[in-house]
Amino acid sequence: MPPKDIDDMDVDSDDSDISIELGNQAYTWEASFTRSWETVQEDEAGTLQTAVEDLMARGRRRRLLAPASAIRRTIIRHLMLILDLSSAMMDRDMRPTRFDLMLQYAREFITEWFDQNPLGQIGIVGMRSGLGERIGEMSGNPQEVLKSISDRIKLEPSGEPSLQNAIEMACGSMSHLPTHSSREILIIFGSLTTCDPGNIHETLESCVKSKVRISVVALAAEMKICRELCDKTGGQFGVAMNEGHFKDLLFELVPPPAQRAITRITGAGSTNPAADLMMMGFPTRLPDASPPSLCVCHSEMKSQGFLCPRCLSKVCDVPTDCDICGLMIVSSPHLARSYHHLFPVKPYDAVQSEFEIPEGSSACHACARPFPLKATPAKEGLSPVGRYRCPDCHNDFCSECDIFVHDVVHCCPGCGK
Amino acid sequence: MRHSRHLSMDTHFGSHLSVVLDLSPAQWHRAATDRDSPLAVSVFVSQLLAFLNAHIALKHENTLAVFAALPGKSVMLYASSDPPAHPTPVDPNSYPPFRRLDDTVTARIAALLAADLDPAQPSALVGALTKALCCPCSLSLLRLSSHSPPTDINRLSLGQAPKDEVSDPRILVLSVSPDLATSYIPIMNSIFSAQKLKITIDACQIFGPDTVFLQQAAHLTGGSYLYLDRRDALLQYLIQMSFLPPPPIRKVLAVPTQDRIDFRAACFCHKNIVDIGFVCSVCLSIFCQPVPVCSTCRTKFPIKTLQRLNAARPPSGSPATSNSARPSPVSTPLSRPAPNGNLPTNGSNGPKH
Repeated sequence: MPPKDIDDMDVDSDDSDISIELGNQAYTWEASFTRSWETVQEDEAGTLQTAVEDLMARGRRRRLLAPASAIRRTIIRHLMLILDLSSAMMDRDMRPTRFDLMLQYAREFITEWFDQNPLGQIGIVGMRSGLGERIGEMSGNPQEVLKSISDRIKLEPSGEPSLQNAIEMACGSMSHLPTHSSREILIIFGSLTTCDPGNIHETLESCVKSKVRISVVALAAEMKICRELCDKTGGQFGVAMNEGHFKDLLFELVPPPAQRAITRITGAGSTNPAADLMMMGFPTRLPDASPPSLCVCHSEMKSQGFLCPRCLSKVCDVPTDCDICGLMIVSSPHLARSYHHLFPVKPYDAVQSEFEIPEGSSACHACARPFPLKATPAKEGLSPVGRYRCPDCHNDFCSECDIFVHDVVHCCPGCGK
Repeated sequence: MRHSRHLSMDTHFGSHLSVVLDLSPAQWHRAATDRDSPLAVSVFVSQLLAFLNAHIALKHENTLAVFAALPGKSVMLYASSDPPAHPTPVDPNSYPPFRRLDDTVTARIAALLAADLDPAQPSALVGALTKALCCPCSLSLLRLSSHSPPTDINRLSLGQAPKDEVSDPRILVLSVSPDLATSYIPIMNSIFSAQKLKITIDACQIFGPDTVFLQQAAHLTGGSYLYLDRRDALLQYLIQMSFLPPPPIRKVLAVPTQDRIDFRAACFCHKNIVDIGFVCSVCLSIFCQPVPVCSTCRTKFPIKTLQRLNAARPPSGSPATSNSARPSPVSTPLSRPAPNGNLPTNGSNGPKH
């Protein structure tokens, strides 16, 4: 692990203080010099075990700090990804160049984003030569989105970026969206200037009005207008310190954001403007061995495909909107993929003392690896006996399985819930 | 590239196989007394052991884990990483690893089936499947933990680990129980995590009706699903059809493909299978007709939408009746526990005030 990561962790070593810390010391150059390598301490035995435990404790705490009350997340998301294609992106401060790194991370981001937001859609706009340039239309198909940024030559950076033009273009392509879906803009911005035709603050006003959420990941330094865009629209702003941090900032935007409380104003019981009933079609999958026919999306001869239940036209991939009748076509696994946000696994309790260990449980209930026999002094939030107990089925799990169950599987091995 | 490397077999990494056995006593009793093609547990276990031995015999590095799903609980029967519990007497006529495997598995199955089980409870297939998922993950983590910090656990387990280090893990589910509607969400969650971890799930339905869940599991993770027609030929199916060779080798074999997988969903109001459904944007509940209030999260929908959707509905009767002509799937792919006012604690749809 490069030292900078430890530095990051040092900054947010206490989650409750992070906002205060950031508020006091907004800029790296104003902060005192931290010797990040000294934060990793060897313990008496000469191992890094304690430092490692620290990191794990932080992960656990973060999960426990997650809002206990119900928050509402946007399940159906629409995101316009604005890529900076100005000449500033050829800077080599991030290897190999900012541009290449951005493309690579953008691809990973899109894959991960669609994995977590299967019903969402992404469009791509580029900022080049003072213009906004439509690179990819809004689409729910990851392959199509990835294809639009697959050609590096076509995206070769040049000229100045224009924030206003790009945001206007992105807003324009999201103006028709229904109210229940989110409208988000993510800008990856490498330049320190923007060349706008008009007053960008008016654009910002209209974004706030149409509830577009703008997030910016800057690669060079903080710009006042970028922070303002994010603060006023409720998005996130971050300046990437290095390659790893750039990726972290980007991937923080993958999980569905909490929906802003519109209903609080209108009051309970009234019609929720953000909720709506959507018509969706569940397609029939044609087997691979069926006779080939033309698909309506690419006009290609194919044997496999999905039949739209309303107009029976053949589309290549789901989820998508039917090209003929406009029906939203999804498969039931796509809907099911969002359910883990709706029904999360309860956080496990750390078993605090040896006396709470029941008879006959000597190994992790999930991976069957034995627990340590002796208790070791542990940090707050961690179990000294290395056991984490499900509040429902009262089985004990090791720390790795605890993380794995909550972050990946989303299903408790003991109670199957 | 990876493909050819595996074919040439010059890699020194074996493949990991987790087997999930469904040992529901009631279903096995039915399978044993089936008139057309009976299969008793004892026969099943002996054929299974031959298959497991074949897996270990294929390559010295191959690893194996066996899990059992019983009514109300799931247990690990055997893991090749386990140290032997007690030194088994050396039998000159048998290969020690085979012997150890056979003895452990048969002894534990016998113990489990002898114990008191609540037959009313359904098989804990989800628990066994989740444990099987945790196992290859921890195996690969063990290997990686020496040179990577634990903060990267998520990244590593999300498939970004160096590819050569993680052997192609796969899970074979041998099921005898029908689909359980209440376990839909956990089973789908396990399937998606398997997909993410690039773990292949194979499924073999030995007895009972086709299960849509396992079909979807196999489809989504690139495994194969097989419905056993001749139960007495189980071993041949296991070894010859598709379950023994690891996924990279299957590309060059003619493995059975799935013709029809049902991607339709059941509405929450009448449990009808629908082609065109109406979905709540807040909690993704599915209804077969436009409703004014969502029954799961109590969200009220705008009148305008209802009018528009009512006008846009297909004229040929309700979706439910138009569907009755189609072959209906054996089980409902989408159905959630009935809403009883207990909304998810910190998920997306909560009380909105």
